Amino acid sequence: MSHAVEIHDLHYRAGKSFEIRELALNVPTGSMYGFLGPNGAGKTTTIRLMLGLLRPRSGRIVVLEGEIPREAPRVLARTGYVPEQPHLYPSLTVAEALRFHAAFYRTWDWKWAEELVGAFHLDRAAVLGRLSKGEMGKLEMLLALAQRPELLVLDEPTDGLDPVVRRDVLTALLEYVSQQNATVFISSHLVHELERICDWVGVMDRGRVVVELPMHSFKNGIKRLRIANAPTLAGDTPFVVLAREQTDGGAETWVVRGWQAPMHQYFEGVGASLRDVVDLDLEEGFVELLRTFREPTR
Amino acid sequence: MFKAILYTQWKWSRLPLLLMVFAGFALPLVSAQGVESAVHDYWQTEDMLSSLQSWGLVYPLLAAAVGLGLALISWSADHRGKHIYALSLPIPRWNYVLLRFSAGACLLAVPALTLWVGALVATAATALPAGLQAYPTILALRFGLAAFVAYSIFFAVSAGTNKTAGYVLAILGAVVVVQVFIDAVGWDVPFLQPLLLRLVFWPGPFEIFTGRWMLFDV
Repeated sequence: MSHAVEIHDLHYRAGKSFEIRELALNVPTGSMYGFLGPNGAGKTTTIRLMLGLLRPRSGRIVVLEGEIPREAPRVLARTGYVPEQPHLYPSLTVAEALRFHAAFYRTWDWKWAEELVGAFHLDRAAVLGRLSKGEMGKLEMLLALAQRPELLVLDEPTDGLDPVVRRDVLTALLEYVSQQNATVFISSHLVHELERICDWVGVMDRGRVVVELPMHSFKNGIKRLRIANAPTLAGDTPFVVLAREQTDGGAETWVVRGWQAPMHQYFEGVGASLRDVVDLDLEEGFVELLRTFREPTR
Repeated sequence: MFKAILYTQWKWSRLPLLLMVFAGFALPLVSAQGVESAVHDYWQTEDMLSSLQSWGLVYPLLAAAVGLGLALISWSADHRGKHIYALSLPIPRWNYVLLRFSAGACLLAVPALTLWVGALVATAATALPAGLQAYPTILALRFGLAAFVAYSIFFAVSAGTNKTAGYVLAILGAVVVVQVFIDAVGWDVPFLQPLLLRLVFWPGPFEIFTGRWMLFDV
């Protein structure tokens, strides 16, 4: 499997309080990779490192087969980036912002850009400083898409947008991906949104990647189990116990990762009985995962 | 790319540039007031030249202001956006800086050209007394060069972060503090003055701002 983004053993420090340590990420080419994490986890910093906007202390970053930061300009020419905060020049009009941006990209597609201006109902004469948050979000997405990138890096692209605008933006994104087979790296803390569109997921917390795996493994592998006569010590389980809680009547609820149906035999072997297996949605799994990461002894 | 950068810079600086253009055009005309051919003796000519020379102080000040203004405008939008947009564009950083610098330098030519036009008009409208010559082109070239020097210095300083600007100010402050200390202690060690002289006289970068800035001279 080839990777559009490979990060190995990355180390970055900003001030005394924030640090990214031993970060490793692999984004498969052609995937929709959801980068999940709570606020302050280091998602935006990781993205900025990935694009060469920040310089790491150590480690290796390869994006579209180009070493970052050494080959950043070549990589950025093939990458569409939607940052977390609007960063375009506020005194320009929409038309001027398009012309300015287009001047830097050989692959810029004017025809499609004009179509997107219409589809997003953007006023070409409107000054960027007076655009609403939704209009600015759509313009940022338009600029990233119209350059026909091989990789799209989207940092919380729909955060704060109303549902209609969010749908417009995601529709344009999905259309592009279906046409171009581009790789999409999308960071968000809106778990349900990523659940619908992503096929890979990476979870980050406190400057470290907690887990990285295909979305189906993440969703299917995390379960809530109800167990009677649960053993005091879980011992050598064939799955990972993320959390366990006492419930009424002496039963216990376990949240586990890496669950597969034949594993129920484990409970028979330790004298317990498995009462129920409940699927967790991505958000519940995400929350449990972070809770375990932060309190490993729980 | 250059056209796109030049366009943004023109858009940001067009109002200040209008003021600079007006000042550049008006200054030679205003400074030429009072110059007339009906002077008969040495002392009248001397008085007239003194009056012209006092206006000569305004030229380097205007050049410095033009350079400072355009340098600050060059970076202001990028500073506001924390440089994220500029850094995410697919060109090397040095290339982007060069483009911004060149675009600002092109805009510097506008007030310098209008000053030249103003100087030509002032020259044409003035009947010079015998023995005096007009130097409109030299004056405009000198103004352009001084504005470019000021622009380059302020562009370099404002390209950095607030931290860098702080370091520059701290160094300047330290130099002054050392001089004050030396004076207070009574040591006969000239420190600040030789430094200033090195900056102000050839080959110092500020030499261009000194000397006589005269539209009409002997």
